[in-house]
Amino acid sequence: MKSLTKEVFLIAAITAVGVAYSIFSGQAPAPWVEAELEAGEIRQVDARVLNPIWIDARSETDFDSAHVDGALLLNESNWDSGIFDLMGAWLGAPRPIVIYCASESCDTSKRIAERLRAELPDAEVYSLHGGWQP
Amino acid sequence: MKHTFLIALLTLIVRLVVAGVFAFAALPKIKDPVAFAASIHDYQFIDGALVSWTAVILPWLELTIAVGILIPTIRRASAACIGLLLIAFISLHASAWQRGLDISCGCFGTATQPTTDYPLLILRNLALLVAAAWVLWRDCTVKSRTSTIAH
Repeated sequence: MKSLTKEVFLIAAITAVGVAYSIFSGQAPAPWVEAELEAGEIRQVDARVLNPIWIDARSETDFDSAHVDGALLLNESNWDSGIFDLMGAWLGAPRPIVIYCASESCDTSKRIAERLRAELPDAEVYSLHGGWQP
Repeated sequence: MKHTFLIALLTLIVRLVVAGVFAFAALPKIKDPVAFAASIHDYQFIDGALVSWTAVILPWLELTIAVGILIPTIRRASAACIGLLLIAFISLHASAWQRGLDISCGCFGTATQPTTDYPLLILRNLALLVAAAWVLWRDCTVKSRTSTIAH
């Protein structure tokens, strides 16, 4: 029984090292940090539950190197073609739209979200809190 | 003698299968804890910070015990933990099935897998539970036999 307890402690210690690695390497968000959301923002964990239409508001180069699966490119420089693709996707299967840019500090996703809310008043539009990193 | 060898071989195969399934389940979750958190959230069983903690702890525990079931120093506790986790998973899936939740299992990390086939999932976990119990029973038997001989 004593050796079994020792084994359990060893497993807990190894697990703790792994958890610490995930958190401190930035692979996992720190569970104790409850980030403040601004109006119109959504967290990635909540966004994924919605199965939304993802909009990539970064540059075309960034989009080509990596993007969320199934995301559409829509930024200020390709607005006309991007909005056309988005309308097609949204009218085909209306669902929430989530826009992301590269980081917490980028504002593109918020600006695109504002424009979309004006152009598609019936759509549920969010900007992704914290941005998206490949 | 031949009979003993066959049982030892069977135990090794069962051990490798259980370890493989748990490691295969853990790695995508470690890589993408946010997607796994979304899957946990879908079960509507826990909420808030507990979801985030579970999403980061559970995959590492799964990986540790997957490797641990192959290491003599910690293999009994690893097999016991695997058994307990499987009982928890079976209860959770039965509860989700009973509540009629139309969700993906999230067992292998991504929230974009097809909707869960609950009976199949529960049967798979029951089979793994039997396998883990077999390995644990063998490890305890061998350990107690070794202690007896040593004394």
